[in-house]
Amino acid sequence: MSRKITKEMRWGFGILSLYAVWAVAWFFYRSLIKGSIFRPYVPELNMQTELALPFSKGLILGADLLGRSLLEVLSAGLTYSLTISLIVTISTASIGIFMGYMAVKAPSWFKLCFDLLINIIFIFPSILIAIMIMAVTGQSMQGLIFALVITGWSGYAKIARGESKRVLALTYVEGARAVGIGEVRLFFRIIIPAILPVMIVNMVLGISGVIISEAALGFLGLGASPYSWGAMLGASKTVLLEAPHIAMILSLTMAGLIIGLNLLGDGLRDYLDPKEN
Amino acid sequence: MSKIFNKTLYALLTIFVALTTIFFVIRLSPGDPVETVLGQKATQAEISKLRNQLGLNLSLMSQYKVYLKGLSQGDLGKTIFGAKDVKGLLKERMKPTITLATISVTMSAFIGIFLGMWAGVKKNKGFDKFSRLISLFALSFPIFSLAPLLVLIFSIKLNLLPVSEWGTLKHAILPIITLVIPLSAVLMRVTRNKYLEEVHSQWVMVTRSKGLDEVAILLRILKVCLPTILNIVAIQLSVVIAGTMITETIFDIPGMGSLLFDGIQNRDYPIVQGVIVYSTVTYMVIYFLIDFINERIDPRTASE
Repeated sequence: MSRKITKEMRWGFGILSLYAVWAVAWFFYRSLIKGSIFRPYVPELNMQTELALPFSKGLILGADLLGRSLLEVLSAGLTYSLTISLIVTISTASIGIFMGYMAVKAPSWFKLCFDLLINIIFIFPSILIAIMIMAVTGQSMQGLIFALVITGWSGYAKIARGESKRVLALTYVEGARAVGIGEVRLFFRIIIPAILPVMIVNMVLGISGVIISEAALGFLGLGASPYSWGAMLGASKTVLLEAPHIAMILSLTMAGLIIGLNLLGDGLRDYLDPKEN
Repeated sequence: MSKIFNKTLYALLTIFVALTTIFFVIRLSPGDPVETVLGQKATQAEISKLRNQLGLNLSLMSQYKVYLKGLSQGDLGKTIFGAKDVKGLLKERMKPTITLATISVTMSAFIGIFLGMWAGVKKNKGFDKFSRLISLFALSFPIFSLAPLLVLIFSIKLNLLPVSEWGTLKHAILPIITLVIPLSAVLMRVTRNKYLEEVHSQWVMVTRSKGLDEVAILLRILKVCLPTILNIVAIQLSVVIAGTMITETIFDIPGMGSLLFDGIQNRDYPIVQGVIVYSTVTYMVIYFLIDFINERIDPRTASE
């Protein structure tokens, strides 16, 4: 057993730390320096700086279509994107673990329903589900999160089902059973700790998936915030000729965050994978 | 034989549940197609007249019965906007999407499997490291951020390819590239990992000690890896063939994705239902085919 922290993981961790520092700095800037906790600062519109190039008019990254500082808009998008993806990932993974475990333990009619449900969620385009949900909830953050949770849990459930099957066959589970452990206790004290490592790897990789899905919805005009990176990319597409820097900076910022998450996730997977060692 | 029967039954059940769900969900969600068609100035009389014409005045259950009856005769109904035949509309919109999907998935399957095997053979050497880096980047630019960059480079700066619309081969190149990059990156990773899983197994050692040449061994390993890879290809194909909404909106392609998007936005019930029928059936057909092929390649997969 030689578990070692790979270069991949270090890079991923480093990149993610940069983004984390950026997000925290922006949080302090908007709610303590430029605004207050109750009235956080929002990037200001400014007709004079519309589509300004980087390093011009006192703006490091230039300005977007509405003359807002691109750096500020990107920062607002970062905190928005991170908040949503963390909430969605934690909720989907919890639902997934529970459903996946139930799919192993429950009677066969439940298994059939489980398969059907997962198939149907897969067949229905997630954009269709999102539009339907947002028609009810309005185009709000709650609606968006709900839509992403509904479409996102099935992947975790499939993994949790496989993992639960594997763990339930292990001898120490049998041992715990022989001692007379209750079903609830078995789930929380034995199964969850055993499948958590695999789930965490998938959650790290899943966060980038949520960031992409959220941005995709924003791109199609279904976001919940004007600072959604996807919505901004959609807008930048219309000024690709005049201001190509907006699309470039947005894509690179988003790609950087996703690269960080993927590197860390892949590194963790190799780290925890028994086969490699 | 009974297995095929069971699978067919399951497929029909899935299709039926999918149809029923979409039928009720879309009707119960807010938004009214009739008011959208007639605009805000319409009088109550006009609204109820059109509602009668479209059969939307009936109770949900009777609408459902009418719909199922039509469906059993192969009739998907008429669109609410413009009263076009949904079946004809689907046939027309299917072409670009299916063309795009089959070309890009086939291409990325070949590219992904080839590069993945190569990376696996050269594990931890130059090519492997390089290809992992490339696939990492490929997976970090989602389609909607990759496409503008490609348009910027190939259409605006180099002026080589048209930006949007559909028709000639030249129009298809950029959409195909945007799809092939992420799809092949995923397949490459899957192939590489599966290859490395198999290459150390005993049967490979036995074949090698019997003196088979390396190319033949490689082909045998590929054959063992193929079912896993094909399962991923099936997922990709069924996703892409259901309509690549984002690619189609970016490049103005008149395909299933954009049809569905407009259909949902306008609450054009028959269109949405029609697209769901299409995507569910193609999904089931693809899975049938892949299962069938996998069982031919590796009979062990049949037991699952």
